Amino acid sequence: MTHQHDDTMIKKIEDQLGSDFDAEIVAEVAEHMRDCPDCKIYVDSVKQTIKLFRVTETDTSVPEDVSDRLFKMLKLK
Amino acid sequence: MKKTVNNLMNQEAELIKLARAGDRSAQTELVKTHSARIYNLGLRIMRNEEDAEDVLQETFIIMLGKLDQFSGKSSLYTWLYRIATNIALQKLREKKKLDAEISVHEPNFEALRGSQLKEWPDHLEDKVNDEQFRHCLAVAMEDLPENYRAVFVLRDLENLSTKEAASVLSISEANVKVRLMRARLFLRDKLANHLKCVGDMR
Repeated sequence: MTHQHDDTMIKKIEDQLGSDFDAEIVAEVAEHMRDCPDCKIYVDSVKQTIKLFRVTETDTSVPEDVSDRLFKMLKLK
Repeated sequence: MKKTVNNLMNQEAELIKLARAGDRSAQTELVKTHSARIYNLGLRIMRNEEDAEDVLQETFIIMLGKLDQFSGKSSLYTWLYRIATNIALQKLREKKKLDAEISVHEPNFEALRGSQLKEWPDHLEDKVNDEQFRHCLAVAMEDLPENYRAVFVLRDLENLSTKEAASVLSISEANVKVRLMRARLFLRDKLANHLKCVGDMR
């Protein structure tokens, strides 16, 4: 962080940032974020980033020609 | 619900047994069941269709050749993810060697901690049809070093648990968490730069 925090809080925020996107923010970090706009922006923007990639990186089906070549190569069908 | 999942697992176990014995229709069924997931995984890590097809083909060659070695301790898709991810990472490393003169150094992740603390605009999802914005997202993923990209893809796009991703990548769960955090901060920083450039963020 560019602003002052003790190492324990930084570690907790970083743990949060390496955890499940949908996981509930641990109470202590949530409480800290209520009084710290910078940390709120930091964590929220990471969540926005993940959401944006999830929206754009949608599943696609295997194109027919790709599938045909796969089964031909494996001598299956 | 649990019963349905158990039924599907039993069906797959039966298919694996038949496929191991050389039953072609069981082998076909297994490939059909898992090919879309593996193709999507390949696309997300490799970032192009041609390489994704190579990953797809090589993964199933290995699956059919080594089905005897599948212990059944993990699910078949986790095993296939491991094979496919290893193939994809190997290919990316080979490409990197070929492009050695333009290879990107490991980003300074430390510098990303707490950087760019400006509020992001609301409703950014509305911008995903904007060609320039999509290009920015694609470039950010391409720039993300492969070890971090693989973790981000497995955890945030393929929805694997930390434990599953650790197993697929043969690294510790703690390492998955660190890499995931760094990947997310890297991508966030790239997007923040883009938003600043296009004037969406002051």
